[in-house]
Amino acid sequence: MTFKNLFIDHERSKEEEEWVREELAEQEQRFAKIDGQMNDLAPTRAKWYEEFFDRISLRGFNADGDQKVKIKREDLPVKPEGREDRVVWKYGRDTE
Amino acid sequence: MARPHIEPFVDRDVAFKRMLLPGFGRGMHYKMLSMDGDTGACTMTVQLDGGYSQPPGFSWSEWEMMVVEGELQLDGRTVRKGHYFFVPAGYAMPAIKSEQGAIVLMMYNTGEPSLVEATEHHHLAHTKLYHDVDSYLDITWVPGNIVKPAVASGVMIKLLNYNPISHAMTFIYCMTPAFYQDNISYHDCAEESYHLWGTSWMMQFGDIPTGGYFWRPAYINHGAFASEFGCIALGRVDSKLFNYFHYNPWSTPQENQTRAAARVYQRDPLLYKWMVSHSHNHPHGPEDFEQTQKLRGPEFPDNEPETDGHKHSHWHTHKHHHHSHD
Repeated sequence: MTFKNLFIDHERSKEEEEWVREELAEQEQRFAKIDGQMNDLAPTRAKWYEEFFDRISLRGFNADGDQKVKIKREDLPVKPEGREDRVVWKYGRDTE
Repeated sequence: MARPHIEPFVDRDVAFKRMLLPGFGRGMHYKMLSMDGDTGACTMTVQLDGGYSQPPGFSWSEWEMMVVEGELQLDGRTVRKGHYFFVPAGYAMPAIKSEQGAIVLMMYNTGEPSLVEATEHHHLAHTKLYHDVDSYLDITWVPGNIVKPAVASGVMIKLLNYNPISHAMTFIYCMTPAFYQDNISYHDCAEESYHLWGTSWMMQFGDIPTGGYFWRPAYINHGAFASEFGCIALGRVDSKLFNYFHYNPWSTPQENQTRAAARVYQRDPLLYKWMVSHSHNHPHGPEDFEQTQKLRGPEFPDNEPETDGHKHSHWHTHKHHHHSHD
């Protein structure tokens, strides 16, 4: 977190500790549900990827603002072998 | 641990829970949207019942609030939907009431929600940073191309808060009907959004409707983007926003970050080389002397100015040396 980092040190009460612990436990469940739903969306997403490739090759890729660049079909990327289509990453680059 | 990737989440899918933390009073209910496992910092949709009242007081955490629906009464005035508050840690707010009830978005940035009853600010509070504004009526929309490379036309923003050191921002943004942007984006910063009204679509996550939310850690792909009928949302980034655009939907956050570092190397090679060669990997970054330098402070002797602030004694407006050229 790199917000303003305005924080005044204080001691958390037991009540607050318990509240945070419960919320984090529920967040784990919420995350797991979202992760499952996004995995289930993979077949639909595969179709969206192909439509995206069609649009950027025929009408253009938004390189900067409304500046569009048509991508040659031969320059479209290929899914790396063995890589699953993953869109949810629990802690970004630190996801295991 | 930070906040995990929560995307997409729709608060309409879950029920409100009673707020039981001390200080907030009866009649406050919340839906947790995301929480930082280290600090307890969090974002919540909050419902205040008609007749809700909380005493004057401050929070140990910096916090922000946006009125989504209804009205609040505080300090002898009524604020309505679209009203935004930025409240530094330790800043004593007046009593807050809601005669008819309200829905607000509450964002605690550096710690769990807290309310310590007080009519005076904590002595460590940065009180000058407090501000609030009717963002719907008192700020005009500007094009969303505030950074380059930029978003496509059709995204408009209103800046609500800006941190000049980290470049963190809070803003509302809208997408016009039939908006689309055909690229995949990622950033060096975490990004958060709550849909106040309307639906937008992202290629990875599908539709995000009214009440839709995400907290997305840095370097995660998102986009292409579209909104069939338009939308308005509150957005935040926790540090500088830079758009890395590409068209590979299978790249990972690690690959995206490496690419971002490669761009720094290509753009600022001397800085990059210095950072790498000196192993400046301290978790808080290299020292910024402006934040650590010794200051005069209130006890500094003879600290009054000696001139009126207009004097430039180095200018040669008075005494000229005349040389003889004989």
